[in-house]
Amino acid sequence: MPPGLDNLKHIVVLMMENRSFDHMLGSLKAVDARIDGLTGNESNPDTTGAAVKVAPLAEFQSQLDPDPDHHFPAVDLQIFGGDASPNRSANMQGFVKSYFNQQHDVKHSGKIMYYFPKEKLPVLTTLATEFAVFNGWFSSIPGPTICNRAFAHYGTSFGQVSMDFFYVKEPYKSVYERLIAANPARTAKIYYYDQSSSTMEIVNLLQHQPQLFGTYDQFLADCKKGTLPDYCFVEPNYNDHDGDEGALVASDQHPDHNVQAGELFIASVYNAIKQNATLWQSTALLIVYDEHGGIYDHVPPPACTPDGFVASGSDTGTGAEFKFDRLGVRVPAILVSPWVPKGTVVSGRIFEHASIPATATKFFLGNYDQRSPREKAADTFLDLLSLSTMRTDAPDFDV
Amino acid sequence: MTLIHVPRPPKNAFYKDRPVSSLLKNQIRHLQEAEFNLIKTEGQAAEFIRRVTAKLHPEGARPQVVRRRKAQPGRVKEIAAAASRKVRVSGGRKSKAASKTRGKRAASKSNRNSKKRKL
Repeated sequence: MPPGLDNLKHIVVLMMENRSFDHMLGSLKAVDARIDGLTGNESNPDTTGAAVKVAPLAEFQSQLDPDPDHHFPAVDLQIFGGDASPNRSANMQGFVKSYFNQQHDVKHSGKIMYYFPKEKLPVLTTLATEFAVFNGWFSSIPGPTICNRAFAHYGTSFGQVSMDFFYVKEPYKSVYERLIAANPARTAKIYYYDQSSSTMEIVNLLQHQPQLFGTYDQFLADCKKGTLPDYCFVEPNYNDHDGDEGALVASDQHPDHNVQAGELFIASVYNAIKQNATLWQSTALLIVYDEHGGIYDHVPPPACTPDGFVASGSDTGTGAEFKFDRLGVRVPAILVSPWVPKGTVVSGRIFEHASIPATATKFFLGNYDQRSPREKAADTFLDLLSLSTMRTDAPDFDV
Repeated sequence: MTLIHVPRPPKNAFYKDRPVSSLLKNQIRHLQEAEFNLIKTEGQAAEFIRRVTAKLHPEGARPQVVRRRKAQPGRVKEIAAAASRKVRVSGGRKSKAASKTRGKRAASKSNRNSKKRKL
C-alpha cells in the first residue's frame, strides 16, 4: 500500500453548487493540454441558428440571472439539443436554446457559454493544477440538486430525478449510517454552514439522526483540535443572511450567488485542514460540484450502470422514462492531499457522485454488499494518493 | 511555499432581498415536511397554526385586553392565601433583577410619600 494510504485517516468532501467543468476549469486547457477544457472554438446554436462560441467573460455575479434551468427536461434539451428520437446521441448543443426558453432574450441566452479565465478563480485553478483534477467527473443524474446530492450520501436517489422528497428504501443506507454502525465503529459527520443555511440532506438524516450533523464552526474547531471524524461532508452557506458578526454572503456559488465568496470558502476549508500538520498528512479533501446548473460543458455524459430504479415519463417531465442509465453533465472535481503528485490529471476514467460513498465505504469498511448497483459500479479515487514521500510544497491561501 | 491571494467579494455581493431561488424554496419545502413530522401534540399543532396564521393574517392577533372581574371577596382571600403558601414552599432565591425592581419600586414609593409629606 502506498504510504499516503497508510497515513490516511480522514476523507473530507466539500460539495459546492451548480457550475460546470468548462465554466470553472475550461480555461486550464491552455495551461495544460491534458486537461479536457476548452479550445475556444466550442459553440452552440442560438434560436436564430447563429453559432454562439464559448468566451472567457464569466462574471462573479449578476450575469446568470435568472438561474439557468437545470431540471430534468431542460438538461435533456441541453445534452441532446432538442432531439427526442429513440436513437439520439448526446451532442451538448442545447444550452443556449434552453437558457433562451427562460426569458426569450437571444443576446442574454448566449451568456450560458461564458467561462472564467483562470486568473479570476485563483483558489480552484491553483488546487486543480497543484493536486489532481478529474477530466471525467459527472453529476449522477441529468437533473437538479437534491437527487444529485442523494447519490453522494446514499449512492442512489431511490428513483428520484427532481427536487421532490426521497425516502430511503431498504437495504440501502447512507454512508454515515454504514460507518457508525460498523464494528469497530467509525465516525462520520455532515457539517452544514449554520442553522440559517442548514443542510440539503433534510428529509431523512436530519430528521432521524441529527447526531450525524455539525456546523461549519464545529468543523473548524474539530480541525484545530484534531478531532475530525473519519468521514466528513461539508456544505457551504446556501443563502445571504446575518450572522453574529455581520453579513454572511452565500458561499455555495449557486447562480446568482457570488463566486468569489465560494472561492474564499473553499480556501478556508483547505486552510483549516492544512494548518493542522497531523491532519494535513492524514486527510484527503475532495472538492466537487453537485451538478452543472444549466451551464455549458462540451463533454457528452456517458452511459452508466442502471440503478435498478425507473423514473416514469411524468416524473422526468419529458414523457420518456429514465432508467438511471446515463450520467448528468460534467462538473469540477479536485482531490487534494500532500500524497497526490503535483499536476495530476485523471483521464480515461469515469467518476460520479456514487464514487464518494463507494470510496469511503471501500476504505473504511472494506467489503460492504448492501449498496446500489450504481455505487457498486462506481470508480474510487484513493489510488491517486500515490506518492512515496509527502509533498511539502503545497500552496497557502491568505484567507 | 506559495501564498495565493484570495480576493474578497464586494460589499454589494450581500443582498438579502434577492428573490428566493428554486433551490431554497425546495429546501424550505423539505424542512416544512420535517417540521410537520415534529408536531405530535395538539399544543404543538396550535403553536404552528398560530405562527403561520399570524404571518398570513396579522390583523387576527388577539388584542391585549386586561379583563377586570368584579372581586369576589371570599375567593380573593383564598387565592392570596394560596399564593403566599406557594412562595413559602418553593423557598427559592429571588433573582437579583427582581429584587432590584422591587427595591426601586419601594424607593420610588418612599420618595413619592416623602414629597407628599413635604408638600
